[in-house]
Amino acid sequence: MVGRRACVKRKQRRGPPQLDIGAASRHKSGMVYIARAQTAQDFAEPVPPPQGRAARAWCDLRDGAAKSWMWTALALQDIRLRYRGSVLGPFWVTISTLVMAVSMGVIYAQLFQIDVATYVPYLTIGLIVWQLISTLVSEGCETFLRADGIIQQVPIPFSVHVYRTVCRNFLVMAHSLAIVPLGYLFFAMPVGWHLLAVIPGFVLLALNGVWICLLLGLISARFRDVPPIVGAFLQVWFFLTPVIYPVAALQNWRSLAEWNPFFAAIDVVRAPLLGAAPLETSWIVLLISTAIGSAFAFAMFARFRSRIAYWM
Amino acid sequence: MAFIRLHDISVEFPIYTGSSRSLKKMLLNTTTQGNIARDARDRVAVHALSDLNLRIEHGDRLALIGANGAGKSTLLRVLAGIYEPTGGRVHAQGRISALLTASVGLNFDLTGRENILMRGMYMDVHPRDMRQHIEEIAEFTELGYYIDMPVRTYSAGMVIRLCFAVATSMHPEILLMDEWLAAGDAAFLTKARQRMEDFVSGTSILVLASHSLPLLEEWCNRAVLLDHGRIAAEGSVAEVAAAYTAAQSGNA
Repeated sequence: MVGRRACVKRKQRRGPPQLDIGAASRHKSGMVYIARAQTAQDFAEPVPPPQGRAARAWCDLRDGAAKSWMWTALALQDIRLRYRGSVLGPFWVTISTLVMAVSMGVIYAQLFQIDVATYVPYLTIGLIVWQLISTLVSEGCETFLRADGIIQQVPIPFSVHVYRTVCRNFLVMAHSLAIVPLGYLFFAMPVGWHLLAVIPGFVLLALNGVWICLLLGLISARFRDVPPIVGAFLQVWFFLTPVIYPVAALQNWRSLAEWNPFFAAIDVVRAPLLGAAPLETSWIVLLISTAIGSAFAFAMFARFRSRIAYWM
Repeated sequence: MAFIRLHDISVEFPIYTGSSRSLKKMLLNTTTQGNIARDARDRVAVHALSDLNLRIEHGDRLALIGANGAGKSTLLRVLAGIYEPTGGRVHAQGRISALLTASVGLNFDLTGRENILMRGMYMDVHPRDMRQHIEEIAEFTELGYYIDMPVRTYSAGMVIRLCFAVATSMHPEILLMDEWLAAGDAAFLTKARQRMEDFVSGTSILVLASHSLPLLEEWCNRAVLLDHGRIAAEGSVAEVAAAYTAAQSGNA
């Protein structure tokens, strides 16, 4: 029997190791089981203390953020793959935004009886930011689902997929943003340092993007009917949000727009780019949604992070 | 010094079928106070691993033997850090490279070269560093011009070679491989084994799951027999393989 070490079941849940040789009889293979001699040294080496769920979730978010080279490279590759084989590549986004802004701008300016020079820039920037938010929400649902192969193959932080989705959508938006300077030239709008006021708006959008992708990605990984629900919701919300019409057109219903986080998100980017100040309520609404959303998404992530791999 | 310790590992899988994946049904279920509970909550949990204890030390080349569904792949995923076990603790040290499913994680529209860079990224290797290994990988895989062709055009054997070469290129300390390796042809297996031996002094741990007992006897120096998510036997490859064959013929 020397050299044959077969240990059936070792239990050392708290306290000194105990042997459970009796369990051998439960197996059918007919082998003789010999419990391996165990010394106290066997389990003596220090095992790092278990981390709490919140700590592990926080590490995941932090380690993922540190791998910025990884998610930017992955985001760039997503874009390259999406437009592989087309001549203009991602600049199709620029062109389609331009076509949409010009055609819609001219017609709706007539409908709303607004000056084209005021309306077209308002509509264009509104559409660009709406596109960013709505793709963040809809692609946010697929954050983990479309990475299922990687999640089942390699243990990289889950948050990498979140940052990748946010980064990809910002990069796509940057392509359509390229038509904005054209508008400044065409409508002879003042250009200057005041445009930098748009930066805090973009930072807040990115922060909101992270919690949205994290939360929706998590929920959609578990419940596969969430993406279509979200898609339907977005369609309705587009009309509730002053993107193509000015806030003033709502008249007595103004507060509907003012307390709409989607409008707040558009306003903090659109107003500075048009040389105006965003509404005060927009900042308040957006800061509140950042705080509440992040807290809720983090709580959910901490609770269900370890289950994501099992849901794939 | 690489090592892996598993303390009382349990893995319980919820199996979600059809309607339990639906948020609508779940909400409906709570509002109707469970009248349709059987319909909506058809959740079945599978115990893939139960109270498993295992120590894998520096120099171990461990074979995982067991029937289909014994828990081999699940155990590999726990070792790789992909599944967080539902119970127990994993304590591991060393750079891990896992080759669990050959094709997963490859993008079939990208060329071999681009896939090498991408796989490298998932292994936490910056493309800048990975580029230095491309030629060496290309040479090992004998892909020739195919290295610049989309992976879509590769044969199954070529995909296996590519994945194996990439996974071993960064000289991991712990290498985990699932049974698909045996799908390679004899020439590849010889070459792969040669490559393994070249850096086995560097790689301290190999865990290999396979149904091919000759392959395991050749590659491994220790074996574990899994049965219904528990360790049924542990010992040298020959002994455990004998126990496995005996159990198989006993069941038949």
